[in-house]
Amino acid sequence: MAEYNAIEAEVLDDARLTLEEFARACAVERQWVVERVESGMLGDGTRYISQWRCTSHDLTRARRLRQMEFDFDADPELAALVADLFEEVDHLRRRLRAAGLQLE
Amino acid sequence: MEFKDYYQTLGVDRDAAIPDIKKAYRKLARKYHPDISKEPDAALRMQEINEAKAVLTDPEKRAAYDQLGERYHAGQDFRPPPDWDAGFEFSGGGFEDIDLGEFSDFFANLFGRGGSRTHRGHRMQGGDRHARIYVDLEDAYRGAIRTVTLHVPQTDAQGHVSVREHNLKVRLPKGIKEGQHIRLAGQGHPGIGGGEPGNLYLEVHFTPDPDYRVEGRDVFATLRVAPWEAALGAAIDVPTPSGQVHLKIPKGSQSGRKLRLRGRGLPGDEPGDLYFVLEVVLPPAHTDKARRLYESMARDMPFNPRQTRPTNG
Repeated sequence: MAEYNAIEAEVLDDARLTLEEFARACAVERQWVVERVESGMLGDGTRYISQWRCTSHDLTRARRLRQMEFDFDADPELAALVADLFEEVDHLRRRLRAAGLQLE
Repeated sequence: MEFKDYYQTLGVDRDAAIPDIKKAYRKLARKYHPDISKEPDAALRMQEINEAKAVLTDPEKRAAYDQLGERYHAGQDFRPPPDWDAGFEFSGGGFEDIDLGEFSDFFANLFGRGGSRTHRGHRMQGGDRHARIYVDLEDAYRGAIRTVTLHVPQTDAQGHVSVREHNLKVRLPKGIKEGQHIRLAGQGHPGIGGGEPGNLYLEVHFTPDPDYRVEGRDVFATLRVAPWEAALGAAIDVPTPSGQVHLKIPKGSQSGRKLRLRGRGLPGDEPGDLYFVLEVVLPPAHTDKARRLYESMARDMPFNPRQTRPTNG
């Protein structure tokens, strides 16, 4: 059956998404993405949507921002601060794991 | 299928105002947030409260649900009556702003494509779906084919939605990193009115490995060595995720010293490095001979570890 044939997976960072594809993947409007890239809340700090190239990290971050804004009615800046903190925790957890330590 | 009492899920009264519902939702969302919760059933609870909030904060959906809810209680066997939503318009649709795959069969039956009147006659691409996949480190080194089981809503001729299991065999690319997303084109929700299906995004995580730890493309492992191997130097065979290597232990090594094998981390355009962190393990002194050897060292080797700083590379 066709569904049991192995499907080729594209790594997001290689297969760059268009703005439309990225917005659809995050279930937001295109403009929502543009505003957050241009305000520096999303992306690598280029702030120019024409130069922005989305990464896996951006997708995770955008979905977090969206959840904070839509589910908690968070101000976008506050949502970005929460996302920053989550990323810091993720980073520290990875460092702990790399050092052979684990959080309780 | 069991009837779900969304008011009970959020712990609010049936006449609760939307601000109170949102407040109750946020309290529970904070408790069960997947990034921080340690509750074993956090993911399931988060799905339940997301679903309850999606219905109770949408006036049209809530009105239709309330009308239905007068005849049912939580856990009761439930099948939506034909045209149960007559007279209600779900302006929010459902698929374009929420991920139905993350919601229950009960929700899909009520508010899925079959129940939504808004899109009739329209052609629209299906929504994207998101899921997590856990892979072994070896899969990332070599690439692999893995089966992913998804719960996919499907609509019958009467417009009712049920959820079926859908197995996908996915060819994982070599060199995938923790946290990266992979896209499976066309494996999201089906399109509406002949529209294209959406895409499926899988967020990749590694299953914990007893031997290796990963940071980005760099891989770390602890290498246990005997005191004489560390002190005198040695050449030993050690397994790595990309095959066995002959490794030189520099003389004078201490616990904690890192030995780097350049390019033997996760593969990629710029492959990572593999680090062996040395751990000097003392042999037990539980035989007469072993005890004599330790006594001889204590006598003949002037050494106070509390006055010596390790010099590790």
